[in-house]
Amino acid sequence: MTRQSNDPNGKLVMSRRGMLLSGATLLAGTLAASLCPTISLAAVDTGAQSRFMQLSSLLINHQLNPDVGARIAETATGEYKNFAGMLDAIIAIAEQKQAKTVEDFFGDIPEGELRDFAHWVIFAWYSGCSSEKRNAKVFTYEEALTFKTTSDILTIPSYGISGPNLWTRPNLPLSAPMPTF
Amino acid sequence: MVTKTSADVVIVGTGVVGVVIAEQMLDAGHSVLMIEAGPRVSRAEVVENWRNSPLGVKGDTSVAYPSRPWAPHPMGGEKPEDAYLQFSGPDAYDQTFIRYAGGSTWHWAGTSWRLTPEDMRINSLYGVGRDWAFDYETLEPYYVRTEHKLGICGPADRTQQWPQTGTRSAPYPMPALPFSPGEVKFTEVVKTLGYNNIPVAQARNSGMPYDGRPACCGNNNCVPVCPVAAKYDAETALHRLEKKGATLLVDSVVYKVETSAQNKIEAVHFYDQHKQSHRISGKLFVLACNGLENPKLLLMSTDDRNPNGIANSSDQVGRNMMDHPARSFTVTTKEPFWSGIGPVVNSGIMETSQGSFRSEHAGAYFRYNNFARNRFVTFAALKKGLVGKALDEEIRRMTACTADIVAAHEILADPNNRLTLSDKKDWLGLPKPSIHYDVGDYVRKCWEVYSQPIGKQIAEAMGATDIKISPKFNNSKHIMGGTIMGKDASNSVVDVDCRAHDHENLFIPGGGAMAAGACGNSTITMVALALKAGDAMVDQMRGA
Ligand SMILES: Cc1cc2nc3c(=O)[nH]c(=O)nc-3n(C[C@H](O)[C@H](O)[C@H](O)COP(=O)(O)OP(=O)(O)OC[C@H]3O[C@@H](n4cnc5c(N)ncnc54)[C@H](O)[C@@H]3O)c2cc1C
Ligand code: SF4
Repeated sequence: MTRQSNDPNGKLVMSRRGMLLSGATLLAGTLAASLCPTISLAAVDTGAQSRFMQLSSLLINHQLNPDVGARIAETATGEYKNFAGMLDAIIAIAEQKQAKTVEDFFGDIPEGELRDFAHWVIFAWYSGCSSEKRNAKVFTYEEALTFKTTSDILTIPSYGISGPNLWTRPNLPLSAPMPTF
Repeated sequence: MVTKTSADVVIVGTGVVGVVIAEQMLDAGHSVLMIEAGPRVSRAEVVENWRNSPLGVKGDTSVAYPSRPWAPHPMGGEKPEDAYLQFSGPDAYDQTFIRYAGGSTWHWAGTSWRLTPEDMRINSLYGVGRDWAFDYETLEPYYVRTEHKLGICGPADRTQQWPQTGTRSAPYPMPALPFSPGEVKFTEVVKTLGYNNIPVAQARNSGMPYDGRPACCGNNNCVPVCPVAAKYDAETALHRLEKKGATLLVDSVVYKVETSAQNKIEAVHFYDQHKQSHRISGKLFVLACNGLENPKLLLMSTDDRNPNGIANSSDQVGRNMMDHPARSFTVTTKEPFWSGIGPVVNSGIMETSQGSFRSEHAGAYFRYNNFARNRFVTFAALKKGLVGKALDEEIRRMTACTADIVAAHEILADPNNRLTLSDKKDWLGLPKPSIHYDVGDYVRKCWEVYSQPIGKQIAEAMGATDIKISPKFNNSKHIMGGTIMGKDASNSVVDVDCRAHDHENLFIPGGGAMAAGACGNSTITMVALALKAGDAMVDQMRGA
C-alpha cells in the first residue's frame, strides 16, 4: 500500500480488489471447511468425525461449528482409547430414547467412563478447551459456547460489540430470554 | 549526533517512563538512543497469543507475552525454584511486568489516580512512613502534562474528580467513560452506605480518537492487551519516536553501568541475544527499566568507586520496595450486576484511602472489577454436572450474578522490604532479583479493623449470598520505592528531579523514586516524575 501512495486511484482499486479477493478466499475456505471438515484434519476419519458431530448435537441443544468439532474429535481420538466405541454407545442410548434434546437421555448414560466422556464433550464445546489446565488444547476461543449464553449483553473480551461510549444499557434481569444459538 | 554506539541521551528501557523522556529530549533537539531488553512485537501477535491461550489461564496477565530467554520476566505457572523472581519473607513480592519494547503498559489497566496532597505528607500529618521531598502543588503541573500526554479521560465535574483537595489546574482532555449497568448498580448500592463510587481517570480514549489512536469501543480486554490501542500503551509511541530520530535497539539487555574517574556515568553495557557484549556512551543516562529492574541493574554494577553498586552510597538501592497489597471479595448476588460491559476498570471509591486513622493503619481504595465473568465461572458451572438448558442458565446466572470487589492498601516505605541479587542466575548468567517482603502491621491492621469490614458491608449491601475473600494479600503490580527520592543523600537514592545523588548525569525516574504510594494505581505519578526529570535534563543539557 505504501508503495502505491503516489497513486490514490490505483491504491483504491488495489485495496478493494485485495479485499474482494481475500473475502472470496475466506468464503471459499469457510464453505469448504463446513461442507468437508476433514480436509483440515486428516488424522480423524470422516466417519468418526460425523459421528462425533452427531453425538455433540445430541449432547448440546445448539448449532455447532463442524470446524471446532473436528478439532475436538482429533484430541478426543488421542485421549480416549475407546473413542469410537463410546460415540456409538452414547448415540445408541439417545436413539433408543428417541431423544430430541440432551435432557431426554443424559440420565440414561451410565456413570463411569461413558458419562465422564459425555461431560468432557460438553466441557470442550462450552470452554473451547480440553481442560482447565495451562497446557490445555484450545479448540476455539470466540466460539466457546459459554460466550453464547451471554451474547445479548456481554462482549467476548477482545471483540467489541458496541461503539465508542455506547455501552450504557439497562441491567437485564435474569428473566430475560436466553439468546438463541 | 546519534550513532548505534553513542547519543546525547541514552535511555535504558522503552516503557512509558522511558518513552515520555525520549520524546521530551527529541523535541528539545537532542539525540536519543534507547536500549530495550526485550523484543519488538506487533499488537496482532499479542492479541493472537491471548485469543489462543486456554480459557483457564486467560487471567494470567503474562500469557500473551512469552518472555524471551535473554529478557526473562515473571510468567505464570513457573515452579518457585525456576521462577525469575525469588522471594523471602512473610509475603511474596509476586509482581508481573513485561520485558518487551513498550514495557508493562502493554497489559496495564490504565487506571490513573493522582496522589492527594495528604498522601505526599504522611509523615508530617500522621507520623508514619516518609514524606515526599516536595509537595502536591509542585507535582500538579506534571500531572496535567501526563494526562494530556497519555490521553487520560476523566470527569469534568469537580465533585467527581480525584483528589478533592489540592489544585486541578486543567481539565482532563477527554470526558469520563460511561458506566456499565453493573457499575451503575454498584454506585447506587455503595451510595446507600455513604460511599462515592466515582469514575476512574483512565488512559483510554473516551468517545473520540486521541493521539492517533481510536476511541475505546468496549472490547473489555484492556488487561492484558487493548486490541485497538484505544488504551494508551508505550508501544504506540515507538514509531513516533523513531520518526523524530530516536534510535531503538531491541533484544539488548543492559547489565552494567560504567563510571568515569569523576564518578559520572560514562557508558552502559548490554548483551545482545547472542550474548555478545556492546558498549554505549552518552552525555546523560536514564534508567527506565521499572522499579524492580532498575535497582537490580544498579546493584549489579559495582566498581571500585561504587562498591555497593551505582547510586548506592546511601545503601538505599533496592530497599523500601512497595506496592498496593490487595485483597479481593468475590461476591455472588441474588440480582444480576453484569460485569464486563465497557473497560475492565471504570470506577472506584477513593475517599476510604484518606483520614486521620492513617496514624494507626493504612487506608484502602475499593474498586469494582468490570471484567466479563465468563472465564471465571464457566469451569465452576460445568463442574456442577448440569447439561442442556440448566447448564446454559447456570453459566448465564453466574456470569451476571458474581462480581469481584478489590481493596488496595497503602503500604509504608520500609527499608527491610528489600531487593537483593539472588545466587540464582538467568539465561545470560545475570543474577535473578530476590525480594524480601512483608506487607507490615500498618496494612494488616487496616485489613482487620477497616478494609475487611467495609468490604463485607459493601458485599452485603450488594445482596451477597456468598462472599469469598482472597486468603492473602495479592500484588497490584505497582512497583515502587527501590530507588527512593529524598533531599538527604545519606538516606535516599535520587533527588527531586530523579537525578542520582551520586552521579550528576544519571536519572532514575519512575516508581522507584516514590517515597509514599498511597492506595491508587501509581503509573500516572511515575510519568509525572519522568516529565519532571525530563525538564531537569533539558536544563542540564543547555548548561552542558
Ligand atoms: C496487569 C497489570 C495491570 C496494571 N494496571 C495498572 C493500572 O491500571 N494503573 C497503573 O497506574 N499501573 C498499572 N500497572 C502498572 C504499570 O504497568 C507500571 O507501573 C508501568 O508500566 C511502569 O512503567 P515503567 O516505564 O516504569 O516500566 P515498564 O513499563 O516495566 O518498562 C520497563 C522497560 O525496561 C525494559 N528493561 C528492563 N530491564 C532492562 C535491561 N536490563 N536492559 C534494557 N531494558 C530493560 C523492559 O523490557 C521494559 O520495556 C499494571 C501492571 C500490570 C502488570
Ligand atoms: S475496553 Fe476495549 S477498546 Fe476500550 S481500552 Fe479496553 S480493550 Fe481497548
